[in-house]
Amino acid sequence: MSDDFGLDLERLDRDGALAEARAGLSRRAFFVGVAAGTGGVLLYRSADAPAQTAADVDVLNYALVLEYLQSAFYTEAERSKAIKGRAGTAAKKVGAVERAHVKAFKDLLGSRAVKKPQFDFQGVTEEPRAFLKTAVAFEDLAVAAYKGEAPKLQTPAIITSALGIHTVEARHAAWMRYLYGIRPAVNAFDEPSSRAEINKIVRETGFVTSAAQTRSSQAPRYTG
Amino acid sequence: MSPRRATAVGLLCGAAVGVGAAALLTGGPHAGGAPLRAARALPALPAPAAEALDIPPPRPLGRQDDVSQWAPVRRVSVARRRPAPRAATVAPLALRTPEGTQNIVRVLGRRAGAGRRVWVHVALAVLPNGSTGWVPRRALGAYEEVATRLVVDTRALRATLYDHGRRVFRARVGIGRDEWPTPHGKFYVRNRLERYSSATYGPLAFGLSARSETLTDWPAGGYVGIHGTDRPDLVPGRISHGCIRLRNSDIRRLGRLMPVGTPVRIR
Repeated sequence: MSDDFGLDLERLDRDGALAEARAGLSRRAFFVGVAAGTGGVLLYRSADAPAQTAADVDVLNYALVLEYLQSAFYTEAERSKAIKGRAGTAAKKVGAVERAHVKAFKDLLGSRAVKKPQFDFQGVTEEPRAFLKTAVAFEDLAVAAYKGEAPKLQTPAIITSALGIHTVEARHAAWMRYLYGIRPAVNAFDEPSSRAEINKIVRETGFVTSAAQTRSSQAPRYTG
Repeated sequence: MSPRRATAVGLLCGAAVGVGAAALLTGGPHAGGAPLRAARALPALPAPAAEALDIPPPRPLGRQDDVSQWAPVRRVSVARRRPAPRAATVAPLALRTPEGTQNIVRVLGRRAGAGRRVWVHVALAVLPNGSTGWVPRRALGAYEEVATRLVVDTRALRATLYDHGRRVFRARVGIGRDEWPTPHGKFYVRNRLERYSSATYGPLAFGLSARSETLTDWPAGGYVGIHGTDRPDLVPGRISHGCIRLRNSDIRRLGRLMPVGTPVRIR
């Protein structure tokens, strides 16, 4: 049993499944469209939502992309029907929660929400061991990312909500670690991760890709 | 410690805590009321912040019968009869269609093979129509989902599109003449062409995985399409070389509703 799972997919990938999957794939920038700007300027207030500063919107969109990543991962695993037993049950339960997170962020951000990137999980949603390995990495990643971003939030109501999600992600991390056969909780203190660290890890997986090009203006040569 | 003794100890401790708390709250004979006065002097704590996010209950995927998957071909490969590297070849898998778009395949299933290698069962755009094969997962790109399906009834000369099982479109169609029949079977939409200059095909054309079984020497392989027309007077009818023709207003409407990857049943 490993004590130090960390956030690094390389360290996670002891049998090379992820390395095999990511070979030769796109290295496209990960958080496309997420502005890096911060500041205390009041940007947006809808009828029911609390005020959001530019810094809040920036962090919320960053979190939304992580939630997109997780929800797409679990949704694809469930659709594949290849993950069975306790891992399959966990994929369904956690996926349903991640989809709820996505909806909540999109509802709050409205037209400011970034679009969902295209994800190519390269088979890790279709093989039980690779699925659990990647699930652990994603959940640990999310926990560290929320912790890293929390100090940037400026609106108390948003901080409260982010903390609520952060603890849920930590429970998911413990669940997936348990299913994978490693210790659910290892350290007395979890380190946050910077946005640069998170982006680098996700980018190197090659899971973020571009949409297939299926349209053309070439004249048809169908049988007519 | 026996259960009875443990219960007794618990009750004793509880009573002691209760007495202590009561003394604190009432000021008690030895406390002189100071803690209570001190607590009253503290400013009120702020109310907890309201939550900004309205997190809905978990969202199960629900009904999956109407959802189908497709994937682009990312690496040149071959489709095999079984999910094994040395199984017989069904057909090569090209990166591009004759129209220059990325080649895509409809996903039918998957299986983990030796060494945890994942194989994907796919529908192929080759003759004989309806061919399927197994390809390594790494040959394909990101899965995409559609919840639409198109049914073309060659007897009634009608096309019907369903979205999540609900009928959202219906139109009369022209199909192949008796000598060049529109092939029957299960297919999928491979690509979408528009803004070309060819009045014959109308404003929009969808390419199918179906191929004519009679016009095999047609340019680009004799693929069957669903497209508009410059002869709306011939629709409905058995008037084409195998393609499915719609009036231009209908193909435009279909273009707003039917994504690439949609399964197509021609019967």
